[in-house]
Amino acid sequence: MNAEPMLAMSPEPATLDVTGLSITYGAGPQGLKAVRDVSFRIAPGEAYGLIGESGSGKSTIAYAVLRHVPAGTVSGRILLNGQDVMAMSPQTLAGIRGRVVSMIYQDPMSALNPAIRVGEQIAEVIRQHRRGDRASAWARSVALLGQVQLPLPAEIAHRYPHQLSGGQQQRVVIAMALACDPELLVMDEPTTGLDVTTEAVILDLINDLRHALGVAVLFISHNMGVVAQVCDRVGVLYAGQLVEEGSTAQVLRAPRHPYTIGLMNALPTIDRAADRLVDIPGRLPDLRVVPPGCVFAPRCAAVQDICHAVMPTLEPVGTGHDSRCHERDRLERLLPAVAPATASDAPLPAKADGGRPLLQIVGIERSFGRAPMLALPFLRRRTPVRAVDDVTLDIAPGQTLAVVGESGSGKSTLARCVAGLLRPDRGDIRLENQVLSPLVQQRTRPQQRALQFIFQNPDAALNPHWTVERIVGRPLQLYGGIARGAALRARVVALLEATKLGERYLERYPHEMSGGEKQRVSIARAFAGDPRLVVCDEPTSALDISVQAAILNQLRDLQQRHGTSYLFISHDLGVVRHIAHRVAIMRHGRIVEAGTPAQVFGAPQHPYTQALIAAIPTLEPKRLRDGTAGRLRTADGMIDA
Amino acid sequence: MAMSQSLVLVTSRRWRRLDAAGIACLGFVLLMVLLILFGPQIAPRSALAFDPLHSLEGPSPAFPFGTDEFGRDIFSRIIAGTRPTLLVALAAAALGVLLGTSTGLVAGYVGGAVDEAVMRVMDTLMSFPGLILAMLVVVMLGPDAMNVVIAIALVFWPRSARLVRSVVLDLATREFIDAARSRGETRLFILARELLPNVLMIIVVDFSLRVTAAILLSASLAYLGIGVTPPTPAWGLMVRDGQQFIELAWWLPVFPSLAIAVVSIGTLLVGERLRRSVATPGGGRPR
Amino acid sequence: MIALTFILRRCVMLVLVLVAVSVLTFGIVNVLPGDVATAVLGDMASPEMVEAVRERMGLDRPLDARYLEWVGGVLHGDFGRSLQHGQPIAPMLLGRLGNSAILGLITLGIAAPLSIALGVLAALRPGHLLDRAISSFAVGAHAMPEYVIGLLAILCFSIWLPLLPGSSLMDPNENPLNRPEALVLPVGVLVIGMLAVISQVTRAGMIQALGSPYVRTATLKGLPRWKVVLKHALPNVLPPTVTEIGMYCGYVIGGLVVVETLFSYAGLGQMMTNAVSYRDIPTIQAGVLVVAAAYGIGNLLADVAALLLNPRLRG
Repeated sequence: MNAEPMLAMSPEPATLDVTGLSITYGAGPQGLKAVRDVSFRIAPGEAYGLIGESGSGKSTIAYAVLRHVPAGTVSGRILLNGQDVMAMSPQTLAGIRGRVVSMIYQDPMSALNPAIRVGEQIAEVIRQHRRGDRASAWARSVALLGQVQLPLPAEIAHRYPHQLSGGQQQRVVIAMALACDPELLVMDEPTTGLDVTTEAVILDLINDLRHALGVAVLFISHNMGVVAQVCDRVGVLYAGQLVEEGSTAQVLRAPRHPYTIGLMNALPTIDRAADRLVDIPGRLPDLRVVPPGCVFAPRCAAVQDICHAVMPTLEPVGTGHDSRCHERDRLERLLPAVAPATASDAPLPAKADGGRPLLQIVGIERSFGRAPMLALPFLRRRTPVRAVDDVTLDIAPGQTLAVVGESGSGKSTLARCVAGLLRPDRGDIRLENQVLSPLVQQRTRPQQRALQFIFQNPDAALNPHWTVERIVGRPLQLYGGIARGAALRARVVALLEATKLGERYLERYPHEMSGGEKQRVSIARAFAGDPRLVVCDEPTSALDISVQAAILNQLRDLQQRHGTSYLFISHDLGVVRHIAHRVAIMRHGRIVEAGTPAQVFGAPQHPYTQALIAAIPTLEPKRLRDGTAGRLRTADGMIDA
Repeated sequence: MAMSQSLVLVTSRRWRRLDAAGIACLGFVLLMVLLILFGPQIAPRSALAFDPLHSLEGPSPAFPFGTDEFGRDIFSRIIAGTRPTLLVALAAAALGVLLGTSTGLVAGYVGGAVDEAVMRVMDTLMSFPGLILAMLVVVMLGPDAMNVVIAIALVFWPRSARLVRSVVLDLATREFIDAARSRGETRLFILARELLPNVLMIIVVDFSLRVTAAILLSASLAYLGIGVTPPTPAWGLMVRDGQQFIELAWWLPVFPSLAIAVVSIGTLLVGERLRRSVATPGGGRPR
Repeated sequence: MIALTFILRRCVMLVLVLVAVSVLTFGIVNVLPGDVATAVLGDMASPEMVEAVRERMGLDRPLDARYLEWVGGVLHGDFGRSLQHGQPIAPMLLGRLGNSAILGLITLGIAAPLSIALGVLAALRPGHLLDRAISSFAVGAHAMPEYVIGLLAILCFSIWLPLLPGSSLMDPNENPLNRPEALVLPVGVLVIGMLAVISQVTRAGMIQALGSPYVRTATLKGLPRWKVVLKHALPNVLPPTVTEIGMYCGYVIGGLVVVETLFSYAGLGQMMTNAVSYRDIPTIQAGVLVVAAAYGIGNLLADVAALLLNPRLRG
């Protein structure tokens, strides 16, 4: 089963050598096989990326390197500098954690102790591993905070985590990881959850430090663009197995496994315009009962008979490039052709164009933190923050207006004002020239029906105690007057089929469905009343790339069929490029730039738009430090100061 | 309709896998119901009739728990005392949770000035220690089982309201409530159909824990001589009256004490079991 | 700065709540169907007797005037006269308050650190023998009224094994600290009741903290286990636990009433149960008000302590 004889013979000693790693949660044949027979090596100073969607086992592997696998059974070998991590005594293990290998976490806010000053959190690592006095450990801690480019490090060291921004917190975590000059840094999605401009500067910092210190990196991410910015080599994980491995350029530019190819085709990027994305149908197999053949076979577009019967092994397809696929050499003929990844500015097809706007947003303003109703003594009055500041936008019939912004830009507040969930302080929402009541309860039934909402978080958007039939049927009762019985059920089934779900979902409860399925139910619910406009608030940001592609295609299809308009809120420029007829960039509550996608992405005028576009991690390996980097520094100054 | 549906959900999903502990809990509840309904009939002897020939006899096959100073069989008195002891606790817990749930639902969902006003009243009620408030109310209303029920319910009301309100406040930020609002549903529909099913299991668990608390509180009141009058065989009162004989006849206060302990530990374990079955994945509360 | 405004705000809240409590105490006594005069005389009294008592107690005057008079007196330390003894309530109240405070504070002093320690120990290895022993003990102790525990304790330690006095039987003016052996059993009973609740609250908080990402960070830094628990987890568990202890003061007060009655300990609780059986309304009112004030102050102190322990709020 050991598929890497070539690497095993290489003379250079590896910083990390993982061989035949398997991790199972739960005992017996019903145990969840989260990781199966994974082997890879990281040379000193090398950055190795593990790419995978949720459930691929990538984070489990990351923590296994530090032998942190609560409740899991581990087999296989993990050699760190030639020492077997699994065989270490607890004392030896504690001795290498934080000194030889250290970790950078996905959510820095929760990874830092809220009750301890950040300087002390760094200094205690130093005191633990290097016998030294308090003062020198503190001094080194301040120096490290300077090294991760935090302003006024001596002052920041005295702060508590909640007094820092997300980007600053992640810098503290990085400083903490570097405290004892480790040989390996394990990074578990270190920029997920950060804004794109913050992400770009953190990635720059990671690259700078890595080259300056010569530390090896195991980089875990679901974002191929981010991996491309940092890593020398990558491995692609699917359902706990390594399915492809090679240099970053090989894997991301010339993938040789159907899953990797599928991921690349599903990825919305700003340089591939209005092409339809190719989603990967189906869902992750049940990892308790692993099929005998290839795990990806049920979802594979190039599947052959042998794939269901025999599990393929990792075989070379080029120098240092391996793929776990029986058909690895015939994929080009077996897979359907995909439009080339070239820039094309062909406009998105739209059913109706021009004419009078369907919805007008006129001078909307909304602040938060106004004086409380009951003014209690000694209650501090917060100064109001203007979340939305004089926004005016039009949406044409049958078209999509995308509002793009980072966290805190006010884009969701705007969406909630349009939907009537929040009362704007000033301004009007007009539907076909009729001014709507500011609150949805006061709007007429036809107005309520005309305007529907799709929410960001599919877990929270559906009542956990309602069946799908009731969730989708309720708007039909409310607007359509279909009371109950066979007629209602037939309409619900039709809606479910239109969103590729079908009759068998009728009796299901939300917790019995995957995230993508839940989001389809949300879409079916929104379209039940045959709306004129649907407000989509980050509808795919909680989903995996392959599922996101399917949902975006679904929304586009429904728009084509019904001529519905969308107000599409997103932080992801790539997604917006694929769905929007018009784009508005929002920052600090204001629209800074608006236009067609071709205008906004092709020739951005506002410096913030330029910074935003420059910050997107693209698949071009390793950002060149030229004007782009300079622009990012400006963005840093503006946002993450 | 929403309520009956969720109850079906509860019964079908969770109690299907009944293990030994679950069966024990069910058995305990059935036994208590039986004793409450038919206690005086089940008891081997009268709980009230004097028998001077057998006064202050120790435990024996004829009188398993001994007799009191009037020759009454303590075993029979304990069995017959299940009803006055437990019925008050059950009624008080039910009334308190009912008041608390409705207050908490309305305060949490309506919010604003209503919430502010209601919660200040609750705060005031909360600023009495429970036993003290119950004492005060029973003393003023008079010694009667119904008044004990009211007093204990008054103690539980703000505590239950706070719990339900906090759950509703948490739920109200969920997007499915926004979805209902943006659909144009009325407040009443959202409260009854969207929120209530999600709060229901929490209310059931809260109720089960309140029953234990009510048993303790009513037994303490009885022990202090508040609310029940002799010769009612309420367990707390039996302890109070038997305490003076502790050096002479320890069984007088000890067996009713043990009865209280056994029943309240039993209800506590049932409640705990209920709470755990709700906390299982895919259960009443999402995520 | 934030801390100071917080404390000031809480003080104002406490005063508001005490005003509300006084209104409520006064209201329950005067508005509920049970008339004070009837309550004093019993149901058998003739209408003339009731009327006479009403006049003597000033019950025929308007409610608001009587309330203001009562509150005015309270503010000057005058709680009126006891119907039972005919003496002013205030001096008696003061002595008994001191006795109860001694009992309560000794209980808190022993039980708070002990229960936190037990909770932490139980949380270190959930489901193991020690945890199960502590948790079973907690369930048992939590589900038993104080007098049940107390009776069993008297039976064991003063009747079957005559080691300790089973009753305090003291003069209200005697300092209970002069006879420490009489304090052992009452304090023991109260401590057990408190251990049951607070140890489980600490345990739950500690288990949650030990499963948190920041504790994982501390572990993966290579810190030894004891440092992870004491330096990283405990400081995050203490503030909510201390708040919980403040809430628990209410149960301690309720427990005091029962325990003082059981052990004939001359405290506030015993005074109140006596007053209840004699229908001594002014004494009950005074007792309730003092108890509510003590409870409020206990809560306030706990909140301030929690604040001082929590850097996020102190900040």
